[in-house]
Amino acid sequence: MLRVDRRLLQNVDWALFATACALVVVSVMTLATLSVGRAGAAVALRQAAWFVVGLLALVVVACLDYRRLVRAAPALYLLGLAGLTLVYMLGRSVSGARRWIVLGPISVQPSELFKVFFVLMAVWVITSRWAQPVGRTTLVMTLPIAAVPFALIIKQPDLGTALLLFPVLMILLVGAGLGLRLLGGAVAAGLAALPLAWLVLRDYQRERILVFLDPFRDPLGSAYNVIQAKIAIGSGQLLGKGVVGATQSRLAFLPERHTDFVFAVFAETWGFVGCLALLMCYLLLLLRGFDIAGSSREPVGRLVALGVTSLLAVQVVINLGMVTGLLPIVGIPLPLMSYGGSSMLASLVAIGLLLSVRMRQFQ
Amino acid sequence: MAIGLAVTAAFVVIVGQLWYLQVLEGGRFLDASDRNRIRIRPIAAPRGILFDRHGVPLVDNRPAFTLSLIPRELPRDPASRDAVLGRVAALLRIPYQELQDAVARVQADSFPPVRVRRGLTLEDVAKVEEWRLELPGVIAEVEPKRVYPTSRFAAHLLGYVREANEDQLRQGRYRRGEMVGQSGLERLLDEHLRGQDGGERIEVDAMGRPVRLIQQSEPHSGAQVVTTVDGRIQEAAERAMAGHAGAVVVMDPRNGDLLAMVSTPAFEIDRFTGTIDRSAWLRLVQDPHFPLLNRAVQSQYAPASIFKILVAAAALQEGSLTPADRTQCAGEFHLGTATFKDWKEGGHGTVDLQRAIVQSCNIFFYQAGLKVGGVTLVRYARAFGFGAPTGIELQGEKYGLMPRPDRRGWPAGETVNLSIGQGAVLVTPTQVARFMATVANGGVLWRPRLVQRIERSDGGLVYSDAGQVNGHVELSPVVWEFLRRSLWAAVNDGTGAAARIPGLDIAGKTGTAQIIGKSKATLGQDHAWFAAFAPVKNPEVVVVVLVEHGGRGGEVAAPIARKILNAIFFERVAAIEVRG
Repeated sequence: MLRVDRRLLQNVDWALFATACALVVVSVMTLATLSVGRAGAAVALRQAAWFVVGLLALVVVACLDYRRLVRAAPALYLLGLAGLTLVYMLGRSVSGARRWIVLGPISVQPSELFKVFFVLMAVWVITSRWAQPVGRTTLVMTLPIAAVPFALIIKQPDLGTALLLFPVLMILLVGAGLGLRLLGGAVAAGLAALPLAWLVLRDYQRERILVFLDPFRDPLGSAYNVIQAKIAIGSGQLLGKGVVGATQSRLAFLPERHTDFVFAVFAETWGFVGCLALLMCYLLLLLRGFDIAGSSREPVGRLVALGVTSLLAVQVVINLGMVTGLLPIVGIPLPLMSYGGSSMLASLVAIGLLLSVRMRQFQ
Repeated sequence: MAIGLAVTAAFVVIVGQLWYLQVLEGGRFLDASDRNRIRIRPIAAPRGILFDRHGVPLVDNRPAFTLSLIPRELPRDPASRDAVLGRVAALLRIPYQELQDAVARVQADSFPPVRVRRGLTLEDVAKVEEWRLELPGVIAEVEPKRVYPTSRFAAHLLGYVREANEDQLRQGRYRRGEMVGQSGLERLLDEHLRGQDGGERIEVDAMGRPVRLIQQSEPHSGAQVVTTVDGRIQEAAERAMAGHAGAVVVMDPRNGDLLAMVSTPAFEIDRFTGTIDRSAWLRLVQDPHFPLLNRAVQSQYAPASIFKILVAAAALQEGSLTPADRTQCAGEFHLGTATFKDWKEGGHGTVDLQRAIVQSCNIFFYQAGLKVGGVTLVRYARAFGFGAPTGIELQGEKYGLMPRPDRRGWPAGETVNLSIGQGAVLVTPTQVARFMATVANGGVLWRPRLVQRIERSDGGLVYSDAGQVNGHVELSPVVWEFLRRSLWAAVNDGTGAAARIPGLDIAGKTGTAQIIGKSKATLGQDHAWFAAFAPVKNPEVVVVVLVEHGGRGGEVAAPIARKILNAIFFERVAAIEVRG
């Protein structure tokens, strides 16, 4: 089945692969520091285990021709939608949100994997012959494939993941040659729909946005996360407080410190210098991804690379923005860093796709 | 590609925010993270204990809960700080303004606790603990509180402890809310007794659970004070004085140790500790019996017939009289146109000096006083320490009154009055005790001693008082012997008969201080004195009893002295026998 081609191996982007692996190692280490002085390093071990699973997936995806995956996109997309629907029936609630399906000892978060399927599906639609030439028709055809999962995901509720779909779609459309005027119209329509979105939001989600505008609205309630994250990051100062000194993280003042706020833990421990190095890694990863998209001469590969890189980029920027207090809190994990098997798997599959595109760029 | 630039731009913005948070504002956030994790728990130093001479505590400490605010841990922005104070006010029903004032008086980021309310109930403490996470900077602190064996025991001697008042705060030596000894030994020795508060810096997790101790400074409890007081004698004296207004001083004539000092009526010390409400305070201050007054050192009375001992001593030593000289007492004495009466109608018949002491014959002493002369009498009185401070450590000691006669202008009538301890002479019960001690020990004038030594909690000696001799009264041994014998006779065959205890040789003298110039109806009866020492050979204790408006010394004061002496000499023996 798998053709192992010498030329394919020559074109493996080792720098991209190494950067991704480095970020995961940092993630495992950071999660391990959280358990210093406490019972069990289970979280770090599970993250490492998921890393191994994700690596296998990465290798499989990289070996497959991405075009075959795009061809299978409708099936994967429907599978993903089925997963999202299943969450309602079998879903496990964690702090008020139904996002997980429990399968024996592991729980899967379908919305994480769905993000990758969504990119493939969008590429499939945009590159399909019915959508040519790219224009208004394409826009109209692609919007429903974002709107349906949006409705499903926002009901979980998972505002962050739901909102992620639209910018990724927009970037893909622009990359495919959608006119800027049409894009402007779509964005304007989206902004006009924001007041409607306010009605859809749950109370806690509204509160988060109000808190973003005024952090001292409720310092012990909904603003607690932002304030504690800022304290954690800021107290790291230039060189960081080290593993033992990172009291905000270690003593649990920082909520969600394994998952969405893991960057704050890193920032408290390693300071501004450490953050700079970490951000350089992410930037390298993302720019590499965009470079793969740019240098691919094949339109499908180009869009796949652009799509998954944008998916990662939007997540990284939104997560860092919310943890540093620049954006309101929406539950988006930091790819490759935040604890979570599904997220890890999805991110590594995305990297696998990038590698796959790169390996086949000259074909 | 444009998207790459856009992402890079976004990263630049994030790095800018990190620079702002970590480098520009990093110090502030570091401080905030310390405030998150570090809790300061003050540990109040226990006040030093006062012991009696046998090592029995006269006061003790008991843990009590105090509501304290730690300014540094209170929220910084005024709105949420006020919210916290409001919550406290509602929870514990404390006036909101009181909390506001307490916080306003100190620096916003100071560590030392501001003690707001003492004597929290367990229920209050539970409320504070339950709301702990909503009440940053509010703690229920354990602070030792003074407890007293009984609420009036040795009240004047020990004194009460209260929060520093405005005057003391103005002196700058005390912090607001600090407990300060306000009277008696508590005030005198406050500096030693108060100790030094300690504290703990504890690292806590987000749930407020302590994780580890970062730093600890041990509280240094106040110094231990060993007094000269004998708790048993003090108790016996207080029991004997029950129902009377007056004073008792019990002194060891061999070294000036005060074994007991009683002033009645007493106040309830424990009601003064902590907070006292206004009406209770006014009731105490306006009480016509002045319960706050320590009558043993702060009240002055005419010494009355007790002064006859001094007249006898002067007369014998100066050679104005011999023990053999006799006088006919018919109950009246005429000087010019004035008539001085004896207390006994019809007089005592023919009396010599000893008989005069035993019977307390006024007529004899009028003549004796005139023979000795007023100036000489005053000289002897001063030599025995009258009209001057005794040197006792207690605050507010009165010096008594002893006229300074010039040789020409001393009317004979004054001398006559002085001879029986009336007129322009006033003494305190403590001065009388020291006088009797001097008679008992043959001329050594000891400074009354209350504090034997002060020891730090670690055992180091801070202060020790070996006793001090203020002066000597030089009289012929024959004179001392005569006085002691006469005083023994006064108890065994005279006015002091009510003090007699079989099996114990007691020497004593009664006194009845007349309240001159005013009708008895308005002022009540005379003040009753009894001054005694025992055993006559090798005296061990001096007991002086004064009962205000008690009537005759021999009838009122002497029985009280008897009870006290009985307790000292016989109940102790009984106790030892039981133990043996």
